[in-house]
Amino acid sequence: MLKLIRLEWKKNRMASYFKGLIICIVGIFAAVALMAVGSGDEKMFLDYTDFMSLTNILIRIVFIIFASVILSRLVIEEYKNKTVQLLFTYPLKRKKIIFAKLSLVFGFCFFSIIIATFMMNIAVYFLNPMMNLFEAPVEIQEMVATIPSTFINAFMMAGVSLIPLYFGMRKKSTASTITSAVLIGFLINATISNGDTSTSLSQFIIVPTIMCLLGLVIGYLSYYKIDKVDLT
Amino acid sequence: METVIQIHQLSKSFKGVETVSKVNMNVKKGEIYGFLGPNGAGKTTIMKMILNLVKPTSGEIKILNQPISTTSYQYLSKIGSIIEYPEFYERLTAKENLELHCEYIGVYEKGAVEEALDIVGLKDVENKKIHEFSLGMKQRLGIARAIITKPEILILDEPINGLDSIGIKDIRELLIILKEEHGITILISSHIVSEVESIADTIGILHHGELLKEVRMEDIRKENMEYLEIKIDDVKKTINVLENKLGIQKYEIVNQHCIRIFEHNISQSQINKELILNNIAVNGIEKQQQHLEEYFLNLINGGNQFA
Repeated sequence: MLKLIRLEWKKNRMASYFKGLIICIVGIFAAVALMAVGSGDEKMFLDYTDFMSLTNILIRIVFIIFASVILSRLVIEEYKNKTVQLLFTYPLKRKKIIFAKLSLVFGFCFFSIIIATFMMNIAVYFLNPMMNLFEAPVEIQEMVATIPSTFINAFMMAGVSLIPLYFGMRKKSTASTITSAVLIGFLINATISNGDTSTSLSQFIIVPTIMCLLGLVIGYLSYYKIDKVDLT
Repeated sequence: METVIQIHQLSKSFKGVETVSKVNMNVKKGEIYGFLGPNGAGKTTIMKMILNLVKPTSGEIKILNQPISTTSYQYLSKIGSIIEYPEFYERLTAKENLELHCEYIGVYEKGAVEEALDIVGLKDVENKKIHEFSLGMKQRLGIARAIITKPEILILDEPINGLDSIGIKDIRELLIILKEEHGITILISSHIVSEVESIADTIGILHHGELLKEVRMEDIRKENMEYLEIKIDDVKKTINVLENKLGIQKYEIVNQHCIRIFEHNISQSQINKELILNNIAVNGIEKQQQHLEEYFLNLINGGNQFA
């Protein structure tokens, strides 16, 4: 299994995606920091929680889309370019091959959200005193307290990142995979606000949970009958 | 001789349309089996069924005496194949593609990649990416990929498509070497008869999903390929003589001045003598070879009449 994941990694030059990952992290931080600094005296963010809520929304959206790019590269393009035919003439279980691909997408989404959140926290901790992003000073305990929710959140989003597989596989199209990821990403993270209070779908824990399960089910359905499918 | 691929009553329907129907086939160890048939005859479908890419509607396939089920995959390590157009990972180089292939199959011999590239003459472009390759080069690389792990069975679907004449000759020689020196069994398909004719030991002729004939090349050569072509003025009179005086039944009237005789037990001089005795002017008498192509076309056209 690990060997298969390693081969997928090598085949798709996954290491090069780390560059993208770093650029995304820097980009998100820059965007939020600019908003914070640019808002001048009338501070946009009151404290750490406030600051991180926007950052987390951006991280989720960005990495759901990022994961869909990888998903289309690993699974959709393999079907589109018919290289899957080659892959299935290897003495390997088809289920294992697809499972390796999906776990790689899931894992990538999961870890990149964790890494991004972690980096963001470090940046906030060290740069806030200098840049004055928000007024209330940040406590280390406050950051540690967000760790469990970060993990749950990353897991949920990793599940959600498999939903575009359903749309992409219908016509073996990269474009529809990524488009559906953009829509899903915005849908569950969009914030509705009336000035005082704001709400978004991702705040009701039930919504991301259902979406996550849906993603996992779609992932499972994509390979549970793959042994019986004709490749023409 | 041991049978490597046994196919029994194999059928496949796509959405109710039967593309392969009740095919029986036997490929023996160490032979080159040529699969002939016009486009859309079902060659690729049968090959895909052997590789388990397409699942049969009914019938049975045995590879190396092991029956193939929908979930079998271990036997695939013994088969090298090219199906349809050779597909590669376009962003990787030729060498990387082959290395990846070896790792997936689980065989890695040092130097195997270089050797395979050398055999098909792609040594100097090993570090080029696949999307820069021409069709002929991809075809060669496909063959390299199929033989690199030294499989027991090679399944090649139209491997000569897109190759230049030197390439065709190279591949032909390579296949014969693989057969003779390594004892590899080769199943090769084509819609171009002459390609297969020169190398195959057995041919199977496929038309509209049915195997019209499975025959050893030796037998074709012996049986039907040789014939006497006689050029005469009067066809009617000649036939009369042939049937009544010589008892010849197997003949064919080509036109008003030409008859072909397919029987071998009567010698050329005997026929000549008998015709002259009966006052038929013989303008020419000649032993000729029928090519597989004609044989093939005859069979397929014959098949059409019944359809």
